[in-house]
Amino acid sequence: MDEKGRSLSETVWTRMDRKAGAIIELTMRQLRHRVSTWVVLGVGALLMALLLIFYIDSVRESFEPIDNDGDSVDNDGDGYPMGQERKYGTPDWDSASYPGASVFISESDIDWNDADRTVALNKSWEGSAFFEASWVDDKYSGEWWDSHVDWNLNQEGIPELTDCSDWDLDRILESIWSEACDMGDGDGDGMNTYYVAGKWRGAGIATVPENYYLLWGYWTEEVYVEPEPPEMYINEDGIDCFNGLFLGGPYERYEAADWEESRVECPSETALSGSHGYDNDGDCLALNDGRGDDENENGIRCDVQWIASNGVVTWIEADELVDEDPDEQEYIGELDHRTFVIAVGKMAFVILLGLFIPLFLSLGLVRDETENGTLHLLLSKPIHRAEFIIYRLSGYLAISGSYVITLSLIVGLISSILGPGDQFVRLSDMPVWIGIGAATTLVLAAYGSLFNAMGLISPKYGVYLCIVFGIWEFMMGSFSIVNPNWTVASISISHWALQMIDAVVLLAWPDTIQWAEMDKAFEIGSGLSVFWQPPVHTLGTASAGIALLNSILVLLIVTASWVFIAKSVFSRREIL
Amino acid sequence: MTNGTQEPPAVLIDQVSKWYGQVIGINDLSMAIDGGVTGVLGPNGAGKSTLFKLMMGRIRPSQGSVRLFGVDPWTNTSPYRRVGYVSESEKLYEWMTALDFVTTLARLHGMTRDEAKERSEHVLDFVGLTDVMHKELGKFSKGMRQRVKIAHALVHDPDLIILDEPLHGCDPLARTSIMSVIREMGEQGKTVLVSSHILEEIERITEQIVILHNGRLLAIGNLHAIRGLLDKHPHRILIKCEDPRSLANLFVSQEPVFGVRFPREGQLEIQTNDLSAAHSVLPSIVVKSKQKISSIENPDDNLESLLSYLIKEGG
Repeated sequence: MDEKGRSLSETVWTRMDRKAGAIIELTMRQLRHRVSTWVVLGVGALLMALLLIFYIDSVRESFEPIDNDGDSVDNDGDGYPMGQERKYGTPDWDSASYPGASVFISESDIDWNDADRTVALNKSWEGSAFFEASWVDDKYSGEWWDSHVDWNLNQEGIPELTDCSDWDLDRILESIWSEACDMGDGDGDGMNTYYVAGKWRGAGIATVPENYYLLWGYWTEEVYVEPEPPEMYINEDGIDCFNGLFLGGPYERYEAADWEESRVECPSETALSGSHGYDNDGDCLALNDGRGDDENENGIRCDVQWIASNGVVTWIEADELVDEDPDEQEYIGELDHRTFVIAVGKMAFVILLGLFIPLFLSLGLVRDETENGTLHLLLSKPIHRAEFIIYRLSGYLAISGSYVITLSLIVGLISSILGPGDQFVRLSDMPVWIGIGAATTLVLAAYGSLFNAMGLISPKYGVYLCIVFGIWEFMMGSFSIVNPNWTVASISISHWALQMIDAVVLLAWPDTIQWAEMDKAFEIGSGLSVFWQPPVHTLGTASAGIALLNSILVLLIVTASWVFIAKSVFSRREIL
Repeated sequence: MTNGTQEPPAVLIDQVSKWYGQVIGINDLSMAIDGGVTGVLGPNGAGKSTLFKLMMGRIRPSQGSVRLFGVDPWTNTSPYRRVGYVSESEKLYEWMTALDFVTTLARLHGMTRDEAKERSEHVLDFVGLTDVMHKELGKFSKGMRQRVKIAHALVHDPDLIILDEPLHGCDPLARTSIMSVIREMGEQGKTVLVSSHILEEIERITEQIVILHNGRLLAIGNLHAIRGLLDKHPHRILIKCEDPRSLANLFVSQEPVFGVRFPREGQLEIQTNDLSAAHSVLPSIVVKSKQKISSIENPDDNLESLLSYLIKEGG
């Protein structure tokens, strides 16, 4: 104790809050007086503004109804959209074939080796025959590729054809295809015989040459089918989930009404493992080819197989053309919105801001005081050098951390107002944005302490060391986004911050695994499964909470380690 | 110079050496200082700043030990609770106002914002900067900056104040004001260490001096006692007058004077073995001569002469 009652022992580590407050405030004011601070923070804000413009321009577009499976078009111009033609089994490339059009019904035929090779009928024919005609229909026609025979009738109704009465049989069989030739009235009964190869309609006696075939039949009556509006084939096959009532049974057994009754919100906690999905527009059922209509090979035609483990849907596989045109507002908008949030959080916040802010603000936190010659002012006070480093870093974090948290909340608020959904603000987004802000702040702390230590270890070349570190971190961060399981990437700081975001996303939006699977299964292509994968470091528990704590702990340990290294270097340094 | 109480002295330097590679900064220095104003004298490069940096824990002694209030400042910053330090560095936070600057640094002693502001206003008043305390430091003159630095060192009412060349580069007015501030601190019973390479400056502040030369302690004690030794040594007095020769006639008969020279036109140089005796007879002779004297100088009465004398004596 001195005469003023002050003890030395109580002077260094006591009143730390006041000393900390003073240095933190000083650091913040110093940073505020530097142009580079404003430049880097301004560039960050500008980047976020550009991303929001991109959001409005691109992501919001996905909320508008889009014909994902392209079946609202009418390719062959017959007035029926592709979806309707698929339902009726008519092709969308043949204008003559459309819902309700007359259909050829085959009745019988003479095969290439049948013994009895003559028939007398009034039919629609297809094949090759010597035809002694009592009547032919010159209006029986079709597309050019359909081999319809042109009888070329004159004014009296007599066909005017190539005369082949002098030809031998081989020449006739070789030369005539998609047409007929006139062989004359050999038997004198007043009816000419024609050799015909192709499709025609007429009455007479048909004799089929050896090794040739002929089939015949009739055309049904055409019925009028109301063409459906193309809009009907936009968002007509949404993603369906059911309450388990009908799961696992043969698909055909149930009526659509049953499915409607048991439909639940999708994704949903009740919509777990089993057969989901309903081919609302019937285009899968119309396939009926035994392949695409049971692509997931679960024995049920035209369904979607969902597989869940521990209450989380981990795999979704859809049969072809099932649930392929979902409602944009409900599904694609949601997927694109989540992808935007996660991609911005990872790329723009953690990787870009997380690296550049510390590079500009933390490298010289202690080093610059030495270079400016003002360090002695601070070190002549009862402050330990380690304390000094921690307070300086705290001051830097107070500026940079509050900046990224504010920025993340602003971007979060704007995007959650613009985002899909009926509510004014998507409140469920907020925990994710807070997580992004927190992950970025921890990254700022880790890089801040690292770069500050670099500045102390090598005042002259520290900046180059930091750039090398920055490149490493950028690369590892990018790899971690694509493949978080890659072990090498986990020796980077960015990896753990990205893991933190993955964990927070799963905690805030527990159905994200399911959304990512839906993205893959229904080929929506939002990129969610590229930018987000379930957190890796769960210590075998598959718990997002443990992954989150784990990541936070690693980032804090890294920060503390670099503070300790900086302290060790700084405590031994003589300040000349 | 210890005060003889149980408490360790403010400054205790024990066989301290500090070298930077091949260059010696401090060479086997031992001393204890407690109470009053002590001038640390030495030419540039004598080791004054090195000594202060050792005391402030900025550098570590290569040998020996440094203690402030019994504590090693290299490993423990607790003594700074009772130490105020004015560095030779001119660098300040130029964008801060004087009050802001002193208040901010005061808070590093654990004061609350209000306490710090109150104390800062008080010390800025003490150093005479009340009028300009809301001005930015970047706009301050050299003398004002020195006074701000002193204010920041005094803000926590320290028991030991270390001032490294506080008068350096100041105009005469600032110099006078800083000197009076230092004297006043001494009168308040604080231990004050003030360095300078100008003898006359220290002489106006204190009698208690330490003289450093080439990193060694050359002398420690009362300036007048040291000066007294010097006075017994041949000394010169240079007088500029109208008629040096007639004035010389009056001097040669005097006891302390053993020779005269005329170095230039209108100049008389008196050589003496006893400077104070010579100065005591000087006024009466000047009156007697009825001459107009333009100046009287003591060319040997400076630090360099003192040093060369001490070095010779020591050698």
